[in-house]
Amino acid sequence: MRFQIDSDSFPLGKGPMVMLILFIITSVFIFSATEEKDESIEFWIFANTHYEEYQARVPIFEALHPGVNIKLINYGGSMHDKLLTALLSDFGAPDIVEVEITSIGRFLKGAINEIGFVDLKPRLESEGWMEKLVVSRFTPWSYGGKIYGLPHDLHPVVLLYRDDLFKAAGVDMTKIETWNDFIIAGKQATRDLDGDGENDQYAIVLDRRTESDYFNLLLQRGAGFFDVEGNVVIDSDIAIDTLTFFTSLFNEHKIATPVYGTWHGDPSNFAAMQDGRILSILAPDWYVGILKSQVPQMAGKWKAVAMPAWERGGRRTTTRGGTMIGITKQCQNPDLAWEFLKFAYFDKAGLINRYETTRIIPPLKAAWDDPIYGEPDAYLGGQSLGRLFIDLAPDLPPRYQNPYWSEAADLLNDAIFNAVTEKQTPRHALTEVAGKVRLIISKDQERWGHN
Amino acid sequence: MQTTSIKHRIWNRQQKIAPYLFIAPFFLLFIVFMGYPLISSLIMSFYEMRGFQSKIFVGLDNFTDLLRDPVFWKSLWNTTYFALGTLVLQLPIALFLAILLNSKYVKGKNFLRLAFFAPVLVAGVFVAIIFNLIFDQRAGLINNEFLLFGKEIGWLSEGRYVMPAVILTGVWQWAGFNMIYFLAGLQGIRQELYEAAAVDGANWWQCFIHITLPSLKPVIAFVFVVSMIGSFQLFDLPFILTNGGEPADAGTTIVMYLYKNGFQFMRLGYAATIGWVLFIIIAVISIAQLRLLGIFKEE
Repeated sequence: MRFQIDSDSFPLGKGPMVMLILFIITSVFIFSATEEKDESIEFWIFANTHYEEYQARVPIFEALHPGVNIKLINYGGSMHDKLLTALLSDFGAPDIVEVEITSIGRFLKGAINEIGFVDLKPRLESEGWMEKLVVSRFTPWSYGGKIYGLPHDLHPVVLLYRDDLFKAAGVDMTKIETWNDFIIAGKQATRDLDGDGENDQYAIVLDRRTESDYFNLLLQRGAGFFDVEGNVVIDSDIAIDTLTFFTSLFNEHKIATPVYGTWHGDPSNFAAMQDGRILSILAPDWYVGILKSQVPQMAGKWKAVAMPAWERGGRRTTTRGGTMIGITKQCQNPDLAWEFLKFAYFDKAGLINRYETTRIIPPLKAAWDDPIYGEPDAYLGGQSLGRLFIDLAPDLPPRYQNPYWSEAADLLNDAIFNAVTEKQTPRHALTEVAGKVRLIISKDQERWGHN
Repeated sequence: MQTTSIKHRIWNRQQKIAPYLFIAPFFLLFIVFMGYPLISSLIMSFYEMRGFQSKIFVGLDNFTDLLRDPVFWKSLWNTTYFALGTLVLQLPIALFLAILLNSKYVKGKNFLRLAFFAPVLVAGVFVAIIFNLIFDQRAGLINNEFLLFGKEIGWLSEGRYVMPAVILTGVWQWAGFNMIYFLAGLQGIRQELYEAAAVDGANWWQCFIHITLPSLKPVIAFVFVVSMIGSFQLFDLPFILTNGGEPADAGTTIVMYLYKNGFQFMRLGYAATIGWVLFIIIAVISIAQLRLLGIFKEE
């Protein structure tokens, strides 16, 4: 019996046969492909500036470690969602990953053994890194006594102000020490420019859409949304007092304007700055980088000063934003990953390069001696901005992380807006949010028990 | 002789199996990527998760929580607001454009059709970024060129202007797309009907009410239902435009709230519940629309 399949006897003719053959060939090809055998480390990134930095730095690391291949992947803003999916499905996560400060909380939910990152504390302690870094910068990446990431930055906050316009109003900003001093100076500088009876030049711009600027002030006072033990302290006396002060800058003293647009980095905010409507802003180091790239024509008009303190001699800075680098539990070679972590975050040459491009000051204290941080900054009229940031660094407040951070921040956004627009009193707004967050937490504890 | 009979039998069997083999890839893909996630999300809505492994059965808790959740109601209202805006603003504009482009007095029709249709080819994220600049409070086109109320409107910074801004952006992006459906419908209306009406002395308005609209009914029904479904699934536009739904959740839609719960709060069970409640809302509205428009009635 002879039986043959040719293109004519194949069901439905030649076309389907070709498709089937192609399908079989590609399937065989896909399933026979094997994983790369060399020592490969996959590294996920969400920030473009970081990606550019590592593109330049990775070849140096690979040259120091022959046979090692670092695969950089920049997923942009959606990276955190991808990471979450990969950790949930227990498959496909990178070996190393950078995580943003407001996103890390959700990764810390659940029992300690379920957390998807490797605890770096033993390595940090045995190699003596804790003493070499600004220790408060580990708090955003720590929970339950473990440390899940190395801090990328300090992000100290200063008060950036319009030197020309404050001077024109007869105010010497270098003499400002406290927030009370600032209010007096601010009233002097806030003006109605076009004579329509409404102020249009404001002493400070503050975000009332989100918790960001309120949180700046709250942290400055050593408080926060959660304490070191994870308790909700959203409605503490100090928080209510801070929000009352925050709203008074808008409503009672009338020296603050809400941010133009959706955040401090929107074009309308820069336009308002150029029109002289905004005289100062609470700026972390990275914001200075944004300002320089977005409004280079304002060079020479800005200067920086330490933040006004809550009382004379008090803390004159706070911290805003941040990134960590960590190793996921899916990593096959944590020792090599650890070597790369240290190379990326603690290598002096790399840190200098980072400051040149992004103005970001590293948490590694030994790096601060480099003359580059003392160089005058033309954008700030020759002021040495790096030195100012470094002087403030040892005083940075701790920012305690919590698995319920996202829920709290989301509710607080509404509370801040309601308080500033006088829909709720600060006390009412904060106690309501605190109650809701406590309810979420207690419900979870009822379901899963305390762990 | 026997060989041909065997060959014939194999051939017959192949003929019977082959169609199933050819449609199998669709069903396999459907089961893996649609069927399984659907069932699994339904099951998930009766569970809650915390962390990456702890799953716990909570019965109807997620559903009762949702009914008591003010942000859910707010997002439902915002989404309905957008849907109504689409209904009263976008679809009439789309119909008007279609009638305009169908008239014999307009020149350059092909160019205009392409021009009105083009916005739908732009990804929602880019549209949102462009309109973020257009609605910009100080530097934006709208406040700079059309200072209608003699003051700067905080389109994206004051709660009450946020959804109107999203609706206007939706009009720009989708009106031209719906116009194409109406245009196709208009071109299908028999010219003799208008001629007969003209003989009877009907004016333009009477023709529109008694011929154009009734003839367009199936198209109108289709566009209404599809637009409603699209409106209730709104996500990327307000998400980018308002930078996450603020101030005070004025720009938060149901799908945005679903995303927030699923990905930012890691409450996957609750997010699945929102998804299924949204499904029920959309199903009810679609069926009601089709009934009101008389699509289920036999002619």
